[in-house]
Amino acid sequence: PRPDVHPLPPGTHLLFTQSGRIEHVPLEGSAMKKDDAKPVLHLPEKVVIGVAYDCVEKMVYWTEITSPSISKASMEGGDPVSVVRSDLGSPEGIAIDHLGRTVFWTDSVRDRIEVASLDGSQRRVIVDSDLVNPRAIVADPPSGNLFWTDWNRDAPKIETSYMDGSNRRVLVKDDLGLPNGLTYDRHSFLLCWADAGTHAMECMDPARGDRRKVAEGVRYPFAITSLGNTVYYTDWQREAVVAVDRHTGEETDQFQPQKRTKLYGLTTTYAQCPSGQNYCSVN
Amino acid sequence: DASGGTAADCHPCPCPAGATCAVVLRSKEVVCTNCPAGTTGKRCELCDDGFFGDPLGQSGPIRTCRACKCSENIDPNAVGNCDRETGKCLKCIYNTEGSFCDRCKNGFYGNPLASNPADKCKPCSCSPLGTVGGQSSCSQVTGQCPCHPNVAGRDCGACQPGFFNLQSGTGCARCDCDPVGSTN
Repeated sequence: PRPDVHPLPPGTHLLFTQSGRIEHVPLEGSAMKKDDAKPVLHLPEKVVIGVAYDCVEKMVYWTEITSPSISKASMEGGDPVSVVRSDLGSPEGIAIDHLGRTVFWTDSVRDRIEVASLDGSQRRVIVDSDLVNPRAIVADPPSGNLFWTDWNRDAPKIETSYMDGSNRRVLVKDDLGLPNGLTYDRHSFLLCWADAGTHAMECMDPARGDRRKVAEGVRYPFAITSLGNTVYYTDWQREAVVAVDRHTGEETDQFQPQKRTKLYGLTTTYAQCPSGQNYCSVN
Repeated sequence: DASGGTAADCHPCPCPAGATCAVVLRSKEVVCTNCPAGTTGKRCELCDDGFFGDPLGQSGPIRTCRACKCSENIDPNAVGNCDRETGKCLKCIYNTEGSFCDRCKNGFYGNPLASNPADKCKPCSCSPLGTVGGQSSCSQVTGQCPCHPNVAGRDCGACQPGFFNLQSGTGCARCDCDPVGSTN
């Protein structure tokens, strides 16, 4: 087997990062096909944190903290290419706007949120105030909204803004501990997060502001991603990817890789770009 | 390369016991794919994030991977808390700094090793008028700011008894009161 790049077979997958590797688990419905889990990319000298997927060009993007950088590689095979290498402290969360062809990331040392074109050009700081430990970031390209978490122990919060950083607002600040993971599902309009401080998973419709607890007793979540009625999260203590039914709160599946160490970023890859709710695709 | 047709085609993995390996097609480089717990790297020569050491002894004696040692001045929810080889702390909190987060940052003083975060490193808060050069750093241990002449207090915030005019910004002047007309 080729340890550097395994082309991703068609279908829907989970991608997660662990100890210098990006691995994939194919999904069948909401079930993880654990026997078919494989490394997609082997970066043995790196500590890979966040991962995101561009469904248009079928590229995986990731953040890395040993020689802080943002890189990408084609899922159909190809060498990793670094996209941003300078002026980074600790890049963690990463999100792709597949419509606008941009990448967003949080930096927990420089305490800011930045955006750049997918080739790293046109880089710009969009948020650089009132951030202490920014971590997860997600984009909803059809609505042009950005969401992120800050696990500042003194004042954790979940915020939103437009994709240029304007119209910034705090969405959630009460009853949060360490909101490490964040995901947005554009079909249900639900923003869901996983909290390693309160050990809960919660969801809310950002437009309506109604907030609901989905699951409790979540051990130590780091990243979260959603697909249909299932949310998946990586857990530092269980060293596993765990699947939870968003309606019942029941745990439906878990995958524990052979390698026992912390799992970090997590994202869903679609065989095709999600048919959008944007105006162009409606007509 | 198992296709050479000889008994010497396959070599044992150059990895610690039990680890599997694979050859990177493009570079012909051999990479270990299943390193022992807590280790990673092409040859399992690195420690996982949050740990440090030199598990293969590549630059000296073997040091097994241990959790970052940062004087309890790092946050367990952070990533990349220390250098994987040297252990140098990279994300000190509570206003500490140094290889082991064992010093107060410039502009702070106190005991970085105190158990209660509130007792760790406090801001110098030097009085800009009473402090030489208007600087904001102080003695890391006592918190004493460098005062202008005849200025007193840890923060150089007051004139010594018998002196006045802290506002001058260059030190306090003797009161020079007439002993006959003054109350003390």
